[in-house]
Amino acid sequence: MKKSFKALFLTTAVTASLLGGCSGSSSSPAPGDGASYTIGIGQFAAHGSLDNCREGFLLGLAEEGIVEGQNLTVLYENSQADGGIASQIITNFASQKVDLICGIATPMAQTAYGVGKRQDIPVIFTAVTDPAAAELANADGTPVGEITGTSDKLPVTQQLQMIRTMLPDAKTIGIIYTTSEVNSLSTIEEYKAASGDYGFEIVDIGISTTADVPLAADSLLEKVDCVTNLTDNTVVASLPVILDKAARKNIPVFGSEIEQVKIGCLAAMGLDYIDLGKQTGRMAAAVLKGEKKASEMNYEVIEEAAFYGNTKVAENLGITIPEELTSSAKELFTDIDQ
Amino acid sequence: MTLLLGVLEEGLIYGVMALGVYITYKILDFPDLSVDSTFPMGAALTASALLAGIHPAATLLLSFGAGALAGCATGFIHVKLKVRDLLSGIIVMTGLYSLNLRFAGGRANVPVFTQDTIFENQFLADHIPQWLSPYTMALILFLIIAVCKVLLDLYLNTRSGYLLRAVGDNESLVTSLAKDKGMVKILGLAIANGFSALAGSIYCQHKGFFEISVGTGTIVIGLASVIIGIQLLCPENGTSFLNSLKLPQVRPTTAVIAGSVVYKACISLAISLGMEANDLKLITSILFLVILVVSTERRKKVKSHA
Repeated sequence: MKKSFKALFLTTAVTASLLGGCSGSSSSPAPGDGASYTIGIGQFAAHGSLDNCREGFLLGLAEEGIVEGQNLTVLYENSQADGGIASQIITNFASQKVDLICGIATPMAQTAYGVGKRQDIPVIFTAVTDPAAAELANADGTPVGEITGTSDKLPVTQQLQMIRTMLPDAKTIGIIYTTSEVNSLSTIEEYKAASGDYGFEIVDIGISTTADVPLAADSLLEKVDCVTNLTDNTVVASLPVILDKAARKNIPVFGSEIEQVKIGCLAAMGLDYIDLGKQTGRMAAAVLKGEKKASEMNYEVIEEAAFYGNTKVAENLGITIPEELTSSAKELFTDIDQ
Repeated sequence: MTLLLGVLEEGLIYGVMALGVYITYKILDFPDLSVDSTFPMGAALTASALLAGIHPAATLLLSFGAGALAGCATGFIHVKLKVRDLLSGIIVMTGLYSLNLRFAGGRANVPVFTQDTIFENQFLADHIPQWLSPYTMALILFLIIAVCKVLLDLYLNTRSGYLLRAVGDNESLVTSLAKDKGMVKILGLAIANGFSALAGSIYCQHKGFFEISVGTGTIVIGLASVIIGIQLLCPENGTSFLNSLKLPQVRPTTAVIAGSVVYKACISLAISLGMEANDLKLITSILFLVILVVSTERRKKVKSHA
């Protein structure tokens, strides 16, 4: 009898003492001057691009006068790619009666929508590649409910155009992708459909885990003139392996966003996730202020992709980045971040 | 209130799966890892079935059946092919990952927001009064889990159920009764994985989408629920605090479901207190350890007094 009390007590005590050190990081807003808001930001995984999205989101809100610490309380949680935790995070937000939930990446956005529509909490998503396929928007881009946001669809044609400008003689482009990532599948289809227009042939190779990357890279590098990356989480996480193998064979690897160029991809026509976040933040501000309802806004994509290049990588490969690209570059890196 | 309701809903969904883990871990003493893949299997089949227009209630049975088949596979590999218990589970778990993607039509994420589910359909919209609607999900879950629990309790009291319990305690007894202990194990694994897939099906309909990653760590949640529930509410060699409160002893099945709710409550508490998701697994393992240590301590004492 005493023992089971003891078990209960010990469990509570240990849990409580562990929690002691990590109290929440939210700061409560100062009283006065107009309305103040509480929002919940749920991020599916810790990942450079997604972190940038969140940062941009808060900047976007601030541009509209909704500033964290002043008239905005932010509850932020990261589920570390665990679906069960994601759903508990969102339920937690709902129970704290937040004014809006921001879901970063597809599974989190879907969870937020599932909970939000029952609790009448508007949801803003970002970093969702294909909102229609995820049933977060209708096929024509109109909202399915009190939910809208931004998509991080890759600028496939602009990337192909850029590769053609850089490598006039290349014929084949290799892509490694994870068969279980929906976003990769739809982007590969798009690459295959558009590659003909630029005189390329796409060679794709599917993997299922990080452990498959080295073998897949070896096999792919035998067959292609260059490699391009998607935003495939598994592949991006093992990018250094691919870069290393490609560098030995003097094969250029193109990235899909700024972080990949930083660590050694030759170049990318990429999205700036901070900008994407800002755009999302502005949409959220409109919803919070009551100017527009989420159900009245179509989801948005970033139209203009920016050029990022790495001159150090170009030098190693013996390639000069054409003037027309460098002149319009958003950022050029002269070193490889290790 | 929303939080409590949320915790209850999560706990009840995983409680169905925990009933299965109770059978394998507690009754059969079989460390069955296949639940990690039968849970998403139920979710994948449900997503595809709903999109194909199959009635939401029927998907529950379909998932249970499919899960049971997978459980049979684990049992068959272990009993007939003489592969070690842990490995049989791992083999099935690994293989099912690929099959689950096939079941979901080759996609890792299948939304079913627009489909009718057991939680959202015309029948409920017509028959549930407005004031009750926030509680509909919890009530439906309660109903499902009550049915599962009662059926399992009834089954465990049949002749076949007694044999199942005997296999875990004393295999030679079963052999001496001229019964095939292998078949009994296979049956137990089938029921356990049936429950796991059923829970996956409910999970998919509750969240509105299937995602290939939902299965990761299912076995941990199951074990946590069973251990917490059993140790707190009906420990093997002692009386629980329920007795001291003059409350009647509960059945292990009830305890396991309660354990699942308590576990989800702990996680929810940790999240509200600002704990990072990174550290949640540590909490779980410490929770495990504390409860196990406290219970072995008791066992030692019992032995030294004997």
